Amino acid sequence: MLATRSVVDDLVSDRPGIGSCRVAETRASVHDMGGTDALLAARLAAGDHLALAEVFDRLAPAVYSGALRVLGHDATAQDVVQDVFVELWSHPGRYDPDAGPLRTYLTMQARHRAVDLIRSELRRVARQERSSRLEPGQPDPSPYEQVMASEAAAAVRAAVQKLPESQRRIVELAYFKGLTCREAAQAAGIPEGTAKSRLRLALAKLETVLDRQLLESS
Amino acid sequence: MTAAEQRPALPDGLRDRILAASLRARAAGRPEPPAPEITAEEAFSRAADAFYGMLGVLQTQDWGRQALRGLDVQGLVGHLTGVEEDVHRCLAGDPQVALASHVGSTQAAADRQAGRPPAQTRAEWRRAADRTLDLVHAAGDTGAEVAVHGIRLPLRMLLMVRAFELWIHENDIRQAAGLPPSVPDPSTLSLMTQAAARLLPHAAARGGLREPTSVHLVLTGPGGGTWDIPIGHGSPAAASVGIVTDAVGFCWLVANRATPDRLDLHITGDSDRAAMVLAAASSLALDLSNLRCQAAMIARPFRGSEDTQQTALVLTPDLIPTRNS
Repeated sequence: MLATRSVVDDLVSDRPGIGSCRVAETRASVHDMGGTDALLAARLAAGDHLALAEVFDRLAPAVYSGALRVLGHDATAQDVVQDVFVELWSHPGRYDPDAGPLRTYLTMQARHRAVDLIRSELRRVARQERSSRLEPGQPDPSPYEQVMASEAAAAVRAAVQKLPESQRRIVELAYFKGLTCREAAQAAGIPEGTAKSRLRLALAKLETVLDRQLLESS
Repeated sequence: MTAAEQRPALPDGLRDRILAASLRARAAGRPEPPAPEITAEEAFSRAADAFYGMLGVLQTQDWGRQALRGLDVQGLVGHLTGVEEDVHRCLAGDPQVALASHVGSTQAAADRQAGRPPAQTRAEWRRAADRTLDLVHAAGDTGAEVAVHGIRLPLRMLLMVRAFELWIHENDIRQAAGLPPSVPDPSTLSLMTQAAARLLPHAAARGGLREPTSVHLVLTGPGGGTWDIPIGHGSPAAASVGIVTDAVGFCWLVANRATPDRLDLHITGDSDRAAMVLAAASSLALDLSNLRCQAAMIARPFRGSEDTQQTALVLTPDLIPTRNS
């Protein structure tokens, strides 16, 4: 039997499906290959880290700018950009080149994440307000939480001002004053079902307004 | 002022942070979705099933069509039966088959098909392939080295090379019979592309590409992946070449069944070197007979075994790309 280990043993000794000789460099050492979004998507799916760097260099400024415009907070906007690119790299197949440009896909992803963050923050603030009314002994929010809450709320408050009066009133009662839907309906002097209906319409319009902000910024 | 000019600059460090986070989520080079992992034995079994299935749809007149090297389809199937029989001898420890010629040793099996009913040829090949699988199963350790047709290699590598060979010849027959080409499943294809990528430096060296060159190879589609392959000798590569093409097309190239001009290629860097790399890839022709040719150029004395000839060959580690991850 040979003392020298055959090289071909190496060829199949790895876990099948995973090649070796692969590096984890993030800086492109080969020129930008450019090409269509379909080619970029195929390269991303093949694990081409240089393609990821190319996409980032080309589109990250627009994604970051859009997220920053909606959120108004730099650190949170950076987190959104990171989420968007990690998602693209982890699941490149979710982008369908036939459905539209990669630029649009990424900015839409950023928009959804930014809007979700604002919604989540609003819910958190509303819960906090309700909680503080019920439990006066709760600790004050941290400076970061205060900044986040104020900046996120400011973006939404601006959007709320564009709503029709009847919808704006119910949003203010439900979110900014922290009332339940039933309480908001009683305060507005309308049936609860009507309040819910106006709230749904208002939220849909808010989303549209916030979406437009991001699209314009990108 | 354009929209781009109005945009705020990216914060310092954001690019590095995000690219690093991405590569932590999914390592570079890994295809997504990954092909399900299979063994070389399974790849051979699948290739055998595909080959047998293809033979089943041939018309009687197809068996007489010219396929390869002067063999008609029936003769080519006979050649493959002969290869299986040599593998059986190899697995039984027959030293004579270690140095046997891939073509010469199987010629009798090809010749004896003349005048037979195609069904008999097909059934004989199936029995031979099944016998190979039975012997492999009985052997258990597919990491054990075996010697056949002038090369020594681990059994699992032999099975993978045989899977590649069956796929190539299946398509030789398909072409002869006017049938559409077939594509291996992603798992099998993945084993093929891994082997091709790793053997590329061998072929490049043989093709005269000795200057240090870094090849960034991206094979797209199922069974693909990304490799950074140092080629040539000397210190850090002075030149970089980027090659992007689809995995199946690259396998056709590696099988010497397609030329670079027939592929959908995207090349960056030194185009002359890229052309040399592609020409080298096409010289790989990953079947048993061609591997023997490659082994011949890196022949080393066969040590230690009394019952084999000193001229037996082995593929050696020094021409394989360094493992980086």
